[in-house]
Amino acid sequence: MTPSSHPPDVLLTASAAGTLDLGWHIAVATHVHGCAQCRAWIRMTESVGGALLENSPPAVMSREALRMVEARFGEAVAAPYACERPGPQTGLLADIPGLPGFVRSYPAGPWRWVAPGIHLLPIYPSAAEEARVFLLKARAGLKLLPHTHTGTEMTCVLTGSFSHDGGQFSPADFDLGDASVDHTISIDGTTDCVCLVAMSGKLRLKGFIGRLMQNFVSI
Amino acid sequence: MHNNDHGAVGAGWAELIGAVAKSADRVAFARLFQHFAPRVKAFMKRSGMSDSVAEELAQETLLMVWRKAALFDPTSAAPSGWIFTIARNLRIDALRRERRSASTEAQDIEDEFLWDAGPSAENAAATNQAHARISAAVATLPEDQLRVIELSFHQDKAHAEIAEALQIPLGTVKSRLRLAMNKLRILLDDLQ
Ligand SMILES: [Zn+2]
Repeated sequence: MTPSSHPPDVLLTASAAGTLDLGWHIAVATHVHGCAQCRAWIRMTESVGGALLENSPPAVMSREALRMVEARFGEAVAAPYACERPGPQTGLLADIPGLPGFVRSYPAGPWRWVAPGIHLLPIYPSAAEEARVFLLKARAGLKLLPHTHTGTEMTCVLTGSFSHDGGQFSPADFDLGDASVDHTISIDGTTDCVCLVAMSGKLRLKGFIGRLMQNFVSI
Repeated sequence: MHNNDHGAVGAGWAELIGAVAKSADRVAFARLFQHFAPRVKAFMKRSGMSDSVAEELAQETLLMVWRKAALFDPTSAAPSGWIFTIARNLRIDALRRERRSASTEAQDIEDEFLWDAGPSAENAAATNQAHARISAAVATLPEDQLRVIELSFHQDKAHAEIAEALQIPLGTVKSRLRLAMNKLRILLDDLQ
């Protein structure tokens, strides 16, 4: 199954180039995980990066550089995964379909009640700075009134589906929102909709909950 | 593109990496080092790294090429693309270390670019052909589009900042980037 909504090319390219903040990268990667077309784009961008690298003008290395690297050939290398991975609660993410493996390795949770029909599970990536990452679970049939947000919001559907006037979003579909977007969102079908969301701005959970309660939710 | 000594040896990178993997061939490694280390260093410097940090990361990248040579799979990546991903991951690691005391392990960053479904269906010939066509396409991009693309590999710059760096109007940045991307998108559709 091919998703119908993809991240814009510039986002995919930034992701492959390694210039995206980890929070945004996680949202893009979650889509790419479920989208062969965008995986091909990422691989192509890596090839483009290789071609640029291969043909770029060189800098001057220090004279002993090769010797210094050769001297390190014998160094013991720590076995991968030797370090302990954080998060006794990663089991919470283990049951969620559609997440790339590295996202499952992050500490996360627990699920918190946010508003009637809505739960949120915070994810704590190692190095996300610009964007907060969380799962949002909304009950089937729910309607979220139009809301505005100050920053950027990237959403990737994991289960269920939702729609707004921009279309219908099913598993692996990617929705990019910014301050100019003002949608009424409805949760379709009969199954709960779980999305991975990356959101910029200093998201204060308390304030966020309050705003959700006051403004966003109608049952 | 840029004028330098590439091209003549460009076809042999995969064999050189293979020789490092199979027989710890130091001569093969030295050739890889001589071509790629100075270019990885330049790549790091364009990302704003100091000369000494860029030097260190270039050495580290080539050390990884030595250690991971056996993991290089010519059926799924071009040699230069593979070396690019090693350099990219080390750059991400370095930037994270610079910005915050806590740091991730390099292995974690590798995982961030790992997807369950790999390119297993592709064969080596198709990959090599695809790479050749991508290299050719990149080489035929007009200089102005190329510079915009190159910049997008180096910093998560808003288009406005790219415009400032290149001293061209913002609308021009957007249209050049769109042109370059469209060209690559068409190429990719062709390959699939
Ligand atoms: Zn896609």
